[in-house]
Amino acid sequence: MNAHVTELLALAAAGALDRADAERVVAHLGECAACAARADEWRELADALRRLPAPRLEPALAARTREALEAALAERAERAFNRAALAFVVGLAWTLAIVGWLLFDLVAGELALRLARPIGSLAAWYASYLLAGWLAAGAAAVLLGRRAQEQEGRTV
Amino acid sequence: MEADREDAARLCRGDTSGLAGLMERHQGRLFRYLLRLLGDRSVAEDVFQQTWLTVAGRIRRYDASRPFLPWLVTVARNLALDQLRRRQLDSLDEADEPVAPPSGSDPFERALARQSAARVEAALAALSPLDREVLTLRFEDELALPELATTLGVPLPTAKARLYRALERLRGKLLAPAAGRTP
Repeated sequence: MNAHVTELLALAAAGALDRADAERVVAHLGECAACAARADEWRELADALRRLPAPRLEPALAARTREALEAALAERAERAFNRAALAFVVGLAWTLAIVGWLLFDLVAGELALRLARPIGSLAAWYASYLLAGWLAAGAAAVLLGRRAQEQEGRTV
Repeated sequence: MEADREDAARLCRGDTSGLAGLMERHQGRLFRYLLRLLGDRSVAEDVFQQTWLTVAGRIRRYDASRPFLPWLVTVARNLALDQLRRRQLDSLDEADEPVAPPSGSDPFERALARQSAARVEAALAALSPLDREVLTLRFEDELALPELATTLGVPLPTAKARLYRALERLRGKLLAPAAGRTP
């Protein structure tokens, strides 16, 4: 008779033996009544574990989870949209600034010719124009942000 | 698995119908896993919600060439273990507990003859969270041993050893009352 395989029986019932060990167990069980009886006990326990009733998932929990997820996904989508919108607006602002410089140069040159007198440094005029533009945009962003925060505060 | 892959791809695109499909197929098993691991329904419900929120946030990290359930369980496991650590509910691994009571097939046979689902469930509930986890993953979720090892984040032999110890401890719990009543 082969050596007893008691140590392997639990894992055999769990289907967790490699092929060599599984073959060893099968060969041994054919000739050892004690191990065969113990193997039956382990099999019964394994079957009992497989047949355990599944705990009931409350439909309300599933519904709440789905709602929370949809809200999170919507928020994520909104954040992605906001990031894209911000990137677009920044790109547009730089484009306008560059195009504005060309136009400003053209218009200021024409103006100086018509007035027949110097109108000062073009770069200084343009820097003032840009600064005023950015300050106005910044103030608008702050005001819009505050308004959005107030609206969020009212809805919570 | 194909359905999981398609739903995960939908969810990556922000389409919530993908989420509905994934939840429909896996929510029952996920909840059972969490309940077995945490042993407390209200905590399991919290972690269940957190798990799905985390899944929605990290769905791009899911490798669609692999089954979805082990990945889902890994996400849930990390959250549940954090929760257990925070709550300090229990020692995660009862290494000092005797593995099994004195052997002998008679009391075990008697115990098994009386066993019912409720009895096995009660014995299971008396185990440590990590023992409950390995048993529910193998027997209820029917994860193959390599998937089990991946989910637990341990090498295959370690997963096997954990499964063995958990089974022996469960057997010990089932035998304990019977042994106590035996003259």
